[in-house]
Amino acid sequence: MSERDRIPSTPLHVTINGRRQPVEDVPNELMMLDYLHEYRNLTGTRYGCGIGLCRACTVIVDHEDGTSEERRTCITGAHFFEGKSIRTVEGHAERDEDGEIASLSEVQQQFLEHFSFQCSYCAPGFVNAATVLVERLQREPVAREALEDTISDALEDHLCRCTGYVRYYRAVRDAVLATPGTIKEG
Amino acid sequence: MRRVLLMAGLLVAATGVARAADPGADTDRVERGRYLARAADCAACHTSEGGTPYAGGHPIETPFGTVYGTNITPDDDYGIGDYSADDFHRALTEGELPDGTQLYPAMPYTDYHGISRADSDALYAYFMSLDPVHQQSTQTDLAWPFSMRWTLNAWNWLFAPDDSDDSDDSDDSTADRGRYLVDTLGHCGACHTPRNAFGAVESDHRLEGAVIGGYEAPALTPDALAGRGWTASDLTRFLRDGRSPQGSMYSEMYPVFHHSTRYLREDDLSAMTRALLGDDPPEPTPLAAKSSTMDGQGAQLYLDNCAGCHGSDGRGVAQVASAMPGNTTLRLDSPRNLVKVIHEGIEARSFGTFERVQAMPGFADDMDADQIAALATWLRQRWGGHDDTVDTAAVEDIIGASSD
Ligand code: FES
Ligand code: FES
Repeated sequence: MSERDRIPSTPLHVTINGRRQPVEDVPNELMMLDYLHEYRNLTGTRYGCGIGLCRACTVIVDHEDGTSEERRTCITGAHFFEGKSIRTVEGHAERDEDGEIASLSEVQQQFLEHFSFQCSYCAPGFVNAATVLVERLQREPVAREALEDTISDALEDHLCRCTGYVRYYRAVRDAVLATPGTIKEG
Repeated sequence: MRRVLLMAGLLVAATGVARAADPGADTDRVERGRYLARAADCAACHTSEGGTPYAGGHPIETPFGTVYGTNITPDDDYGIGDYSADDFHRALTEGELPDGTQLYPAMPYTDYHGISRADSDALYAYFMSLDPVHQQSTQTDLAWPFSMRWTLNAWNWLFAPDDSDDSDDSDDSTADRGRYLVDTLGHCGACHTPRNAFGAVESDHRLEGAVIGGYEAPALTPDALAGRGWTASDLTRFLRDGRSPQGSMYSEMYPVFHHSTRYLREDDLSAMTRALLGDDPPEPTPLAAKSSTMDGQGAQLYLDNCAGCHGSDGRGVAQVASAMPGNTTLRLDSPRNLVKVIHEGIEARSFGTFERVQAMPGFADDMDADQIAALATWLRQRWGGHDDTVDTAAVEDIIGASSD
């Protein structure tokens, strides 16, 4: 019996970036971030503070009703995601048949164009949070005048230690404006 | 002419000397007043969040409506600028303003009734030394019949104590000092002693615990404290640091630490501890063995939602998340505070100069009453020494009451 077999474990069923993952026994106390890194080799999700503060480790949980939410994987157990479908930073770009990146999502593209990040440690969390925001605004558009506040409210918990946020902020604004249906007319 | 000038010069010099003698005494008194204002936690109600100290505005929820702390800076229009020391003493200890208006008993004048005249005068000197703030505090909005202030005379006749304590010095022994700090200045009973239907403190149930603003202000009797594992040194540390092995201050207790107890001298903290636990503190009750295992819904909810910070072994992380074994919230008989904290979370807080603890998220959107009940049951059985079950109806009752 190997060491790992003695750790209380349960099979985990989870869909990541649209693909059902192979069902494996996963330790009951494993955090989702470790599952992504160690079991799925998805290392784009970052470990920053490990205490739920910086949000570098944020992923998107997609609900059946079409809504989505952010979730911090450093403080959330892998089994919280049992039966759920999530998106990680690896899941945003379109890929060609060979798995190479063909085009970036609007949010990713804007982040690049605005030179939003430097070291990029916080970027996966920002990509996911901004994507959740853009998709929410497609369902529930806001008035143009309310956009600045809406962006601040949605992203203010995400920490970036390099950039001072201004470029992130402009990029998210432009991503929203470039996405049809996010702004209420009149 | 020269002589006159010289005389004038002498007079000025003489006054100068007299003035120079006073400031020393005044400074001492003002400093004493500053300390007493902290011990009496005046800021908790008379300072609004982010507002100028003592300029009023903090809302105090009472069962009868919201009362706002008033401006007690020496502003002539909106503060206490035209109060004499006598006026101040009467307002402080009798709840009566110079024009005869009766204060609402949200002002704990029934507790402050025992404040000595010397201490009242020091408090007066301190408040008078502040810069006046020309700002009207929010008007109070109470439900009938309490909106009619004359009803308060009847209330006072029924519930307020009679004699003001005119003794000059309250500091004759540690025991007296401790009670003075706990019952009079600190007015701990304002929250920790149950109140009757008229909102008056039930003095024969002193510090036996009460529910206030949806949270339990736990019982602080020696047996209750020892029953939850408190020792004198832990209690002193809790008051001084806001944290102890039993957990950290949250909800309405945090401002008490922030505005008041962290400023108290070590001898005063020990005196308070002694007043609470008694001269011969009962032995702390050891934590009963765990009766829940790492299996089942409660355990998995803990691992999925809590263990990231509090650890799968519950040991927590220093400066980040409290340790669970023996945590005072888990040891309380009632699951109320535990359920409230899981549901609402705890705001980010600073403790002392170098400690800042981040917020604990609330799980109102993530867990239903069934799940909170399972988690609370598991936590209490694992690290709170309980063997009972928290049922869903009890949780619904608690969170229902909190979400209105
Ligand atoms: S790594 Fe998860 S919030 Fe910082
Ligand atoms: S780019 Fe370095 S932390 Fe945000």
